[in-house]
Amino acid sequence: MERTVEDIVLDIRGQICPACLLITLSELNNNKERLKGAKARMIVKTDHRDATRTIPGAAFAMGYSVSVVQKDRHYEITLEHEK
Amino acid sequence: MAGVFRDVFLFRDYLRMKAFFLLVSLLAVILYLMRIFKVISTYPPSFFGVPSAANLLGGLLFGVGMVLGGGCLISTLYKLGAGSTASCITFCGVLLGGFVSAVFYPLIRSFASSTAFLKDKTSLEHIMGSAAAPVLLISLPAIALAWRWAKTGRWSQRAYARGYLSLWKASFMMAFVIAATVALSGRPLAVSTGFAKLSGFLGVLFLPVLTGKIAFFRVQSPRLLYGGIMNGGAGPVVDSVFLTQFPLMAGVVGGAFISSLRLGEFKVRRLPPARQAFSAFSGGVLMAAGALTAGGCNLWHMIGGLPVFALQSILFVFGAAGGAFLGSVFLRKVVIR
Repeated sequence: MERTVEDIVLDIRGQICPACLLITLSELNNNKERLKGAKARMIVKTDHRDATRTIPGAAFAMGYSVSVVQKDRHYEITLEHEK
Repeated sequence: MAGVFRDVFLFRDYLRMKAFFLLVSLLAVILYLMRIFKVISTYPPSFFGVPSAANLLGGLLFGVGMVLGGGCLISTLYKLGAGSTASCITFCGVLLGGFVSAVFYPLIRSFASSTAFLKDKTSLEHIMGSAAAPVLLISLPAIALAWRWAKTGRWSQRAYARGYLSLWKASFMMAFVIAATVALSGRPLAVSTGFAKLSGFLGVLFLPVLTGKIAFFRVQSPRLLYGGIMNGGAGPVVDSVFLTQFPLMAGVVGGAFISSLRLGEFKVRRLPPARQAFSAFSGGVLMAAGALTAGGCNLWHMIGGLPVFALQSILFVFGAAGGAFLGSVFLRKVVIR
């Protein structure tokens, strides 16, 4: 039977620098159990281009795999805990 | 440039700090060589006077402001050009802060002159007794360290955004572009008086009587420019500041607009949460107050003064680092919870 993975969407478009990284780190911490148990993945929506450097860098160091796609004038960063 | 200190205090991320030191060190060496080969004549530049507590205090205010405002004056401009509403709020804060600080200009100048010290020394080379000494002892070792980091892969951090420029490459490019502008115009880049002048123009529009009474907007001082002397100041008139700083400001906004359009990123962004909007506005006010108190913003001191080891700028950097620390604590505990 296929397991369903919940999407935790964090929309931080329009926020001041460096809110993107601070809020993402806080939400990663708040949802640590679900993310580590591979029950959920986090999708961060940001329009701050530097966040495509800082969030993946910090998340990767915490053991998450990262993928980034540009969508309609913003970026979506998907963070999943590596199994 | 706000991230130079802020990222260290908030995230223990030293990448921007390293890029900043590489930029300043490269500039110091290039400017020193330009001096030897007589490309520039006034050195140490006459633009930087004797240090005072005002440089430290101004740096402190500016440091708090640039963290709360989400970026320094230049980054406020380029984010504005890319459609950031938060930066538009910061920009408005800078304009209001410039006008309010102008009212207190006589008090600020009096504080600066009464706390001035080292009456005949304006640069580290006056203290070390040699122009080559700070370059040899500080800049060249810093460049060697940057080279070692490059060889051990410590500059690499992947960015996924299209057109992202590595920070070390940006440092190299900026060093040569800034050195070229110094060689061509005869003075370091600046924008803070331009911002104050914009406040003055708006003051004439909305509060003409009050603006006319503010001494700061009447001050015109001779400025070395393109090898000659031209008057300039924050007053709402066309002068050397208008002719040099307004095009720079417009260029940054316009360049960011074109670049963000080309990358498919331009969009008038949504408003930030109320707490962040208030932070952005307050940050703008504090940056304007800090720049006026310190006699220049981070562009003037950190890119213009630090590479020539101006004592005023060294004090500004210490103040800005302290301010960035305070701003980071406030941001984390109050603004973004």
